Amino acid sequence: MTGQDPGPLIRLYGLTGGRARPQGDSFDLVAIVTTVGGPHTLADLIPEYRAVLSVCRRPTPVADVAAHLRLPLNVTRVILGDLRREGFVTIERPRPVAQTIDEHIYREVLDGLRSL
Amino acid sequence: MDYAAYEPGATAVTSALAIKILIAGGFGVGKTTMVGTISEIRPLHTEELLSERGVGVDDVSGVEAKSTTTVALDFGRITIREGLWLYLFGTPGQDRFWFMWDELALGALGAVVLADTRRLQDSFPAVDYFEQRGIPFVVGVNCFDGARRHDPAKVRRALGLTALIPIVLCDVRDRASVRDVLTTLVTYAVEGAGHGMP
Repeated sequence: MTGQDPGPLIRLYGLTGGRARPQGDSFDLVAIVTTVGGPHTLADLIPEYRAVLSVCRRPTPVADVAAHLRLPLNVTRVILGDLRREGFVTIERPRPVAQTIDEHIYREVLDGLRSL
Repeated sequence: MDYAAYEPGATAVTSALAIKILIAGGFGVGKTTMVGTISEIRPLHTEELLSERGVGVDDVSGVEAKSTTTVALDFGRITIREGLWLYLFGTPGQDRFWFMWDELALGALGAVVLADTRRLQDSFPAVDYFEQRGIPFVVGVNCFDGARRHDPAKVRRALGLTALIPIVLCDVRDRASVRDVLTTLVTYAVEGAGHGMP
């Protein structure tokens, strides 16, 4: 995928002021993002940022936010980092797999897969 | 964790969880097809722009030092229930994107290493990677049309796999087949966890 014209991507990165990495602590591609309640001053936010806040009223993984916005993951993560810094969203901290996936979850996943 | 219901109709969700499964293997082995076969959404194909800092030491002869490059990343989703999702990530095929694997692999439930019996050597890097990091993986031998159906024992020997690691013959275009590969992986991962694996 290298060597191709990166024109559209370069334009996308205009959204983030050219930044390819989010501010603050790192977060995973599937970290859960949740819009923080309360009245926000949204007037200054550009549409992509407002769209994130709308999607994440339901806790939503980072990758899904990118899917909703049809934006690359990197760009999405920069936007999310900005929103977190401004206190508009919370993003769960990365946790080791052993702490997140217990036997009950495994069972649910297995049952879910088998019923596909 | 507590999420205050701040608007009418918003459910208080105490824990939402998204689980990662990686689909690895050599170029053209069927990773993207596999994700597409089982995903409930059309697989999202994104081109990630990487700064030169992320790419690290790289052969960019003739290109300015502040160069950027793109890497393709595919992912799909399976909803188990509200608040519990499986995400399948097709790993970038090129070795120079290993650093991206590290991020993808962090916290992953496990991985499927897809293998093409005509090019088994293409699967070595992925097998090595997951073995070294103690990430549970299964090997899916993609049985392409016309490809000779290989004896799993031969694949095991060729890839130097221990007897414990499951090998599944599969067709990545077939939903039931992909489902079987994933249930094999999840079963293997939970058994491994029960035996004190990392």
